[in-house]
Amino acid sequence: MNAAPATARQLGMLSCHDCHLLTAVPANGHEHLSCPRCGAALHARKPNSLARTWALVIAATIFYIPANLLPMTITSSIAGVQADTIMSGVIYFIHSGSWEIAAVIFIASVFVPLLKLLILVYLLISVQLRWHRRPKDRTALYRLTEAVGRWSMLDIFVVTILVALVKLGAVASIEAGPAAVYFALVVIITMIAAESFDPRLIWDALEEDA
Amino acid sequence: MTVHSPPEQHAAVATVKAGRSFSIIWLVPILALLIGGWLAFKAVSEKGPTITITFNTAEGLEAGKTKIKYKDVEIGKVESLRLNPDLKGVVVTAELNKDLEKVLTDKTRFWVVRAQIRGGSVSGLGTLLAGAHIGIDPVEGGQPARSFKGLEVPPVITTGLPGRHFWLRADTLGSVNIGAPVYYKQIQVGQVVSYKFGDDGQSVDIQLFIEAPHHLRVTENTRFWNASGVDVALNAQGLKVKTESLVSIIGGGLAFDLPKDTIPGEEAADNAIFRLYPDHDSIQEKTYTVRRYWMMYFDQSVRGLSIGAPMELYGVKVGEVVDLALEYDNKKKQFRVPVKVVFEPERMLGGEGSKKVTQEEAEKSLKIFVEERGLRAQLKSGNLLTGQQIIDLSFKPEAKKSKLTFVGSYPVIPTTAGSLDQIQESIAKITSRLEKVPFEQIGNELNETLKQAKEFTGKLNNETAPQLKATLAELEKTLKELQATVGKDSPLNYNAKKTFEELTLTLRSLRELTETLDKKPESLIFGKGGNTHE
Repeated sequence: MNAAPATARQLGMLSCHDCHLLTAVPANGHEHLSCPRCGAALHARKPNSLARTWALVIAATIFYIPANLLPMTITSSIAGVQADTIMSGVIYFIHSGSWEIAAVIFIASVFVPLLKLLILVYLLISVQLRWHRRPKDRTALYRLTEAVGRWSMLDIFVVTILVALVKLGAVASIEAGPAAVYFALVVIITMIAAESFDPRLIWDALEEDA
Repeated sequence: MTVHSPPEQHAAVATVKAGRSFSIIWLVPILALLIGGWLAFKAVSEKGPTITITFNTAEGLEAGKTKIKYKDVEIGKVESLRLNPDLKGVVVTAELNKDLEKVLTDKTRFWVVRAQIRGGSVSGLGTLLAGAHIGIDPVEGGQPARSFKGLEVPPVITTGLPGRHFWLRADTLGSVNIGAPVYYKQIQVGQVVSYKFGDDGQSVDIQLFIEAPHHLRVTENTRFWNASGVDVALNAQGLKVKTESLVSIIGGGLAFDLPKDTIPGEEAADNAIFRLYPDHDSIQEKTYTVRRYWMMYFDQSVRGLSIGAPMELYGVKVGEVVDLALEYDNKKKQFRVPVKVVFEPERMLGGEGSKKVTQEEAEKSLKIFVEERGLRAQLKSGNLLTGQQIIDLSFKPEAKKSKLTFVGSYPVIPTTAGSLDQIQESIAKITSRLEKVPFEQIGNELNETLKQAKEFTGKLNNETAPQLKATLAELEKTLKELQATVGKDSPLNYNAKKTFEELTLTLRSLRELTETLDKKPESLIFGKGGNTHE
C-alpha cells in the first residue's frame, strides 16, 4: 500500500462528524477537541470505539439469551393459555407445514441478530489483533450489519400488530411476552454497537503496520 | 504524527476541552449482566423438582405442551416423553413448581385427564380443545419420591375430600361401574371408587366413598344394596318395577339404608366392610334371625310353585319355600312332592315374634295347631296371570284329625288339596256318578214303551173306532126318540106340566094350612070359623 494516498489523519486533519468541517489538529493537544463551527466533539476516529462496541456487543449477547428463552407471545384462547418462544413458534410452523413462514421468522428473529453479533465480534477481534486479511470484505460485512439492523425489528412489529389485532376477549387474545422487551433491547443495542464501531480502524491497522 | 505538507490556508484550530476519564458505556453490559443474572437466578430459584411418571400410553400428551394441573391450576409441564427401555410404557418427564416439593410423596397419584363420560357425568370437556393434561392428587406425609406410576383410570375421589371409604362384598359386580352413584334415600351422597376381586377370588370387593357429612349415616347396622338399572320382579305378588334414579339405570348405582325397625348402632369406621344385598327387599328379609324349617308332602302337581315362593297365613307372608323335589316310594309305587319351607316367626307380631321361644315350645304349640286346630297347608294360585303358586296355611277344624309327625328334625305339616283341586275333584265325582246312570237301558226301555203305545193307538184306530161310530149313531137315534117323547108338544110334556100345576096348587094349600095352624092351632078342632074362605 505504498501508493496509497495520505489520509486525513496522516495530514493532521480532522473531519467534524456533524457538519463535516475539516479542521487541523492543534499542536497543543490531541485529546478533547470540538468543532469550531458547530461545536461538536472532534475525533480522528470514533472515540473509544472498540471498548464501546465490545461493551454493547456483550450487553446485546446477554440479552439475546432471555430474548430466545422467554416467551415472546402469550396466546390465551378457549383452548387454554399458550406461551410461545421464538423457537417454539418456528417449530410450530415447521410442524404445521408452513416452511416459508418458519424460515422468515427464523431468519429475521434468530439468525440475523445472531449473525450481526457474530460479525461485530469478528470485526472487533480482527481490529484488535490487527489482522490484515481481506479488509474490503470486512468492510462489506460491516455495511451489511448496518443495513440489516433495522429489519431485525420485524419480529417486534409482528408481535405489536398481533397484540393489537387479536383482542377477542375470551375467545382469543395475544399478549407480548417478556422476551419482546429483551429482543427489542438486543436489536437496539446491536444497532448502537454497529454505529459505535469505526470501520476505519480496519484500515488503520493495515496502514500503521505497512 | 508526521505532517507531510501543512495546508496552504490556515485551517481552523480545534478547541481543547476537558474530557471524561471514565467510559460510561461499560454500564450497559454491566446492566445487561445484572438483568441477565437476575433472570437466570429467578429461573434457577423457581425451577421446581423434575419428576418422571410412567403411563401405559402417551395418548394426548405432548412434550413441552401438556400441563400438570391441580384444581385446574397449572403447576407443571411435561418436558419430554420417551418409551420405556422394554417398550412397555411411556416415561413422562415433567417439571413441577417449586412449592410442590413437599407433596411429592409415594402416595401422590398422577393420571391423564381426558374427556370422558361415565356414571352419568361428563368431565374433562375442556380437554377436547386444549388437549389432555395430567392430573395430580397430592398427598403429604409419605416417603419423598421423584418417579411415579401413573394411574390409567382417573381416581373418582381425590384425597383432600372429606368423607369416608367403605368396602362392600358382593357376589358379582352387577352393573356397578367406577363413578357409579351411591344413594341414601334417593339423594346421591357418594360414589363407587374402585373394585377388585375379593381375597378368596369368589367375591367382588367394591370400594365406595361417602362424602361428609353423610358418612355419619353409615352405621354398623346399615345395609347396602344394588340399585342398578331397573328392577323388574315378576313373582307371586305380580309385576314390580323399581329404580333408584335415571342415572342408575344407565350407569348402575348403589344405595344404603337401615332395615325397618333397626337401631342405627355405632357409626362405621373408615374402610369398614359391608355385605352388598342384591336389592332393596333383601335388606329387610335377612333381618329375621329365627328360622324354622317344616316339611310338607303334596300328592299332586306343584307346578307353579318355585323356590322362594311365599308361604302365607291369613294372606300374610310368614315364610317361603326353600326346597322342593320329587320323591318316589318304591314299595307303594307312589309319587309325592316333599316341599321344605322356612317359617320365620319374627314376621308375626306378638307371641313368638316378640320373645324368644325355644324349639320345644314352638313344636308344642305347632302340635296343638296341627292336631286340635286343624292347621293345614295347601297350594293356592298366587297369580292367575303367571300361574305362580303359593303355599297357604289355614285352619280347617273339620279336616280329618291327624298327628304331628317329624321327618328328621323337621315337623311335617299335613296338606290338603288346593282349592282348584277341590273343584276338580267334585267335578270328577259328579261325572263319575253321571257315568253310572244306565242311559242305554233307559233309552231301550223308553223305546219299547213308545212302541207299545204306538201299537195301542193303531188298535184303537182300527177296531174301536167303527164300533164307536155305530154306538154314536144309536145314541143319536135314542136321543131323537127321547126328543120326540119329551118334546114341547108331547103328551108326556103336557101331562107333566099339568101335574106340576096341580102340585103347585096343592103345595099352596098346604102352606096356607100350616099358616092357619100356626096362627090358630084350635081351628084343627074348632074349624076355621067365619074367616075361612076355602
